[in-house]
Amino acid sequence: MILKIAWKNVWRSRGRSLVVIGSIVVGIWALLFGTGFMNGFMVGYMANIIDHDISNIQIHNPEFKKDLDIKFFIKNGEEKASTIRTWEGVKGATTRTIVSGMISSPKKASGIQIRGVDLKNEAIVTSLDSIVSEGTYFEGINRNPVLIGSKLAENLSVKVKSKVVLTFNDSHGNITAAAFRVAGIVKSSSLSINEMYAYVRQEDINRLIGQEGQVHEIAIITDPRFEESAIVNKYTSIYNGDIAESWREIAPELAMMSEMYSSMLYVLMTIILTALVFGIVNTMLMAVLERFRELGMLMAVGMNKVKVYFMILIETVFLGVVGAPIGLFIGWATIHYYTLNGVDLSNYSEGLEAFGYSSILYPYLDTNVYITVTIGVIITAVIGALYPAWKAIKLNPVEALHKI
Amino acid sequence: MSVIKAVNVTKTYNETKVPVHALNGINLEVSEGEFTAIVGPSGCGKTTLLNILGGLDHPTKGSVEVANTNITNMKDNKLIDFRLQNIGFVFQAYNLIPVLTNKENVEFIMLLQKKDKKFRNERSMDLLTQMGIADKANQRPSELSGGQQQRVAVARALASKPKFILADEPTANLDSKSTATLLDIMAKMNQEEKATFVFSTHDQRVIDKAKRVVTLEDGVVVSDVTK
Repeated sequence: MILKIAWKNVWRSRGRSLVVIGSIVVGIWALLFGTGFMNGFMVGYMANIIDHDISNIQIHNPEFKKDLDIKFFIKNGEEKASTIRTWEGVKGATTRTIVSGMISSPKKASGIQIRGVDLKNEAIVTSLDSIVSEGTYFEGINRNPVLIGSKLAENLSVKVKSKVVLTFNDSHGNITAAAFRVAGIVKSSSLSINEMYAYVRQEDINRLIGQEGQVHEIAIITDPRFEESAIVNKYTSIYNGDIAESWREIAPELAMMSEMYSSMLYVLMTIILTALVFGIVNTMLMAVLERFRELGMLMAVGMNKVKVYFMILIETVFLGVVGAPIGLFIGWATIHYYTLNGVDLSNYSEGLEAFGYSSILYPYLDTNVYITVTIGVIITAVIGALYPAWKAIKLNPVEALHKI
Repeated sequence: MSVIKAVNVTKTYNETKVPVHALNGINLEVSEGEFTAIVGPSGCGKTTLLNILGGLDHPTKGSVEVANTNITNMKDNKLIDFRLQNIGFVFQAYNLIPVLTNKENVEFIMLLQKKDKKFRNERSMDLLTQMGIADKANQRPSELSGGQQQRVAVARALASKPKFILADEPTANLDSKSTATLLDIMAKMNQEEKATFVFSTHDQRVIDKAKRVVTLEDGVVVSDVTK
């Protein structure tokens, strides 16, 4: 019956309770949507970098990692990549020849990284073919096609089918220059892809540097259900001498960002729930003060302080129990809608892309966040009830019964 | 057998500042089955005495025994449980729980006593029937008149089968017809259920109905008449 009384007491002052429940709903919605929005930024940013640029795992000759000297190839790189493709948890593996050099147009020149790619496997690993915004994926040009980033194309003032010259050192240290024709322009939210890379066919660059059949990098994309570390460990246990790294080691700033965004959830949650505590304390205190005489009667006739305390506590938890599911549902529905349709931030696309973010944002929330928020709200309700409940049990029945 | 025994009970408020002596050495014994009225002018100490006899307040001096248990220095939590098992209360302002039905209000005390559902149901309906308001069992207190609400309060006080019932000015807010009905019911309960009633009142109709009248003046018993 205490539960029943507590439940009915919640609806005694319907308007006041609805205001508190409303603030719980709005608080939870704001918390979920804010977190989902931030998470969407983070997940989108990381996915762009991992999926289109660095991949889940990279393998190099350790000496190549130090100064990108082209003579440090991965021994039997093609053969190793073929083996890796057969491993469980590997969605794709591609090989690359990487050469530092210059790209020149009739108007300008720029320092770049020339990436000799295996066309078929590169498309599987980085979906390079999917980010071609103009022109084609190495098609339509027979001799020396090149793909360049949109920003680089803008800087060089070149278009599809324009001629550019790539200059680099060959394996003997001689400066080599070769004419290439722009087959396509790629556009991504990755700054490196847009500004720093020129993609060429692997056989073209290998022929030009005089090291055919050799590779500098193996990039692997993994199944999200598998731990990258397991594949890294497997590789290092089989092949000695190479260095295999997951994206966390290749781009520690990404891993740090990921952790930072996770902790932001707790900061945001603390701020919103703290504000909520004050609302709950205020409401419950009013509810207790209004019922001083009734609470005095309950204690006079034999309701002990523990029961009175819990009755107030339960009333507050009920406010949370009503508000939380509504807030969770509205939050979930909003995120679900925008996960499917995306939040169009194209008005700010230039600024966002400058920082490597996509202009269409897909909010995302892990199930754990919903659980964390639910627990957070219940704890908030309990904390909010402590002072009013303490106030209730501290009253003197004789004085309370004579309060007008 | 006495259910209440107050010995030399004194109550002084504001002991450290300007002391107000509400009770000055009250000796009172109430036996089982009595129908006692404590009367006197406003401020004579009736309510203070009732609060002390009911374990809601502690005397400054003296002792109070209820059903052979000394409650004078009993701790608050223990007193609450003691009141639940031994004392029924009827308040001037009824003090029913507005969110519960009349039946639930009566049941509530038995629930605190951990009585089973069947017993609670039967006892509450039986008491409401005796009070003449069984048809109002599922209504809220706010749907009843003052007299009817006070009858629910009496039923609630009787529900726990207490050793005695303390009623502080139970008819103060009632019209004459409601007062008469309530007094008849209480007298009937006194006879049939052997319920012991102690009232504070200055209502002559209550005084006329009482079997014993204890008169207080300035915190002292000035007369104690058994009819």
